[in-house]
Amino acid sequence: MLELAELSAGHLGENVVHRVSLTVAEGEAVVVIGSNGAGKTTLFRAVCGLLRPSHGSVRLDGRSITRRRAHDIARAGLAYVPAERHLFPDMTVAENLDLGAFPRRPRPDRRALVLELFPRLEERRRQRAGTLSGGEQQMLAVGRALMSEPRLLLLDEPTTGLAPKLAAGAYGALEALRRHGLTILVAEQQVPLALGFADRGYVLEDGRIQLEGTSAELAENPGVQRAYLGVA
Amino acid sequence: MRAVVFDGVVLGLQFGLLGVGLTLVYGLGGVLNLAQGQLAVLGAIVAAVRLDAGSAVVPAVITGIVVAATVGLVLDLTLMQPVYRRRGEDRVLLGLLLMLGVAFIIDGVLTWRYPIEALTLRIGGEPVDILGVRMRTGSLLASAIALGVGAILVLFLRYATTGKAVRSVIQDEEGAQLCGVSPATVRAFVFALSGGLAALVAVTRSMTSPVTVNAGIDFTILALIVAVVGGLGSVSGAFLAGILLGVVNTVSAHYIGTYITTIVLLGAAAATIVLRPSGLLGAGRE
Repeated sequence: MLELAELSAGHLGENVVHRVSLTVAEGEAVVVIGSNGAGKTTLFRAVCGLLRPSHGSVRLDGRSITRRRAHDIARAGLAYVPAERHLFPDMTVAENLDLGAFPRRPRPDRRALVLELFPRLEERRRQRAGTLSGGEQQMLAVGRALMSEPRLLLLDEPTTGLAPKLAAGAYGALEALRRHGLTILVAEQQVPLALGFADRGYVLEDGRIQLEGTSAELAENPGVQRAYLGVA
Repeated sequence: MRAVVFDGVVLGLQFGLLGVGLTLVYGLGGVLNLAQGQLAVLGAIVAAVRLDAGSAVVPAVITGIVVAATVGLVLDLTLMQPVYRRRGEDRVLLGLLLMLGVAFIIDGVLTWRYPIEALTLRIGGEPVDILGVRMRTGSLLASAIALGVGAILVLFLRYATTGKAVRSVIQDEEGAQLCGVSPATVRAFVFALSGGLAALVAVTRSMTSPVTVNAGIDFTILALIVAVVGGLGSVSGAFLAGILLGVVNTVSAHYIGTYITTIVLLGAAAATIVLRPSGLLGAGRE
């Protein structure tokens, strides 16, 4: 469903990610593991059009989306939830959700699905997004992304700033989304959680893919254990 | 006194519309449109020229508004493109300077081609009593139009899908893109809207006093003061500030003299910047 071929991107002519190739098949959950500064966010921004790749290509359903603009890619069925969430702070929860469906009108059954997944958002419907707690903001960011009825969901560190219990809850919600047939690509530092959720994973270090494999293979890899799983 | 305040409200509603256009364009793209007043006058002069040529009032006025909106749209799609590619202070400064240049050009061309042209719309009918004050029909119609258009604008931004898209870009441009909103399209639309609104204000002004070829700078300064006092980026703030400043304007003109009004208005803007830097209803972000 998503194919990156030799994708390079960065800022001011300086590449941060170098020739990254990666695939996500329909219905799959894939994780990109990497520490702070490994280039996960740059990679995702280049995929969803917020950053222009300097080299390589991105394909969605076999069609190139390499140089298309972010709003165009969003409408093509790829929803991105950035770590900083980028909600509309002065709008209500309901308005934020409605905008997720732009340019179409929000579909009631879709809204019901999102509110069923995140009942907290139902309670906070009329509250301004800027006044929500960190966990609620994360729910709203995912909920808003779902309103566009995407087929592929990209999440950048969905557990940023969440207490451990909430972080586990976030992955519980992602599991539920998978059962609805959504394809998911997630970048994560909290490796045990992510490997427990994903089918496959890639390890990104210094902007390059160093390792790839199924979640079980990665969990047993001595390098991964040392660097990310706290195994001596 | 009551009559003076009423006149102030009439004026203020129009100030508000003028300020809203400026504040929306700034909120979306960081461009301070210093040619806002010149777009207003351009619309008025186009309408006046059409009237001279024998056109009926409504088509002439609509032509003026459409021309101003189109010029706004073209400016956004051409001259403003390099501005939007910049960030932060660079963007604000370049936008400001380019629009100042546009203001001079529109002023120059209009003064050269139509040196003595002015738009005056005489609205017939007997004065009407409102709460014991005799109001001219011209003032009433101008207020009704400003109020109506202002209400439509507020409702549009609040409830319409496109209106929400406009607000989303003001609040978080990247978030808006991720929702499928194109900031470039929204900016072009609002630039055109703001040009059309400016021309509409010039038209309503001409119902009570002539709008001459060189009135552009006055409109621009008014729009700037209203937008600053209301809080750049705040629509309801611009209306509130417009009405307040309209009243301040007429009261000071009536009790002190017309010469003092610009000083009083600029004083109000300066006081706002000192006391409430983000404006009456400004969000205080950025």
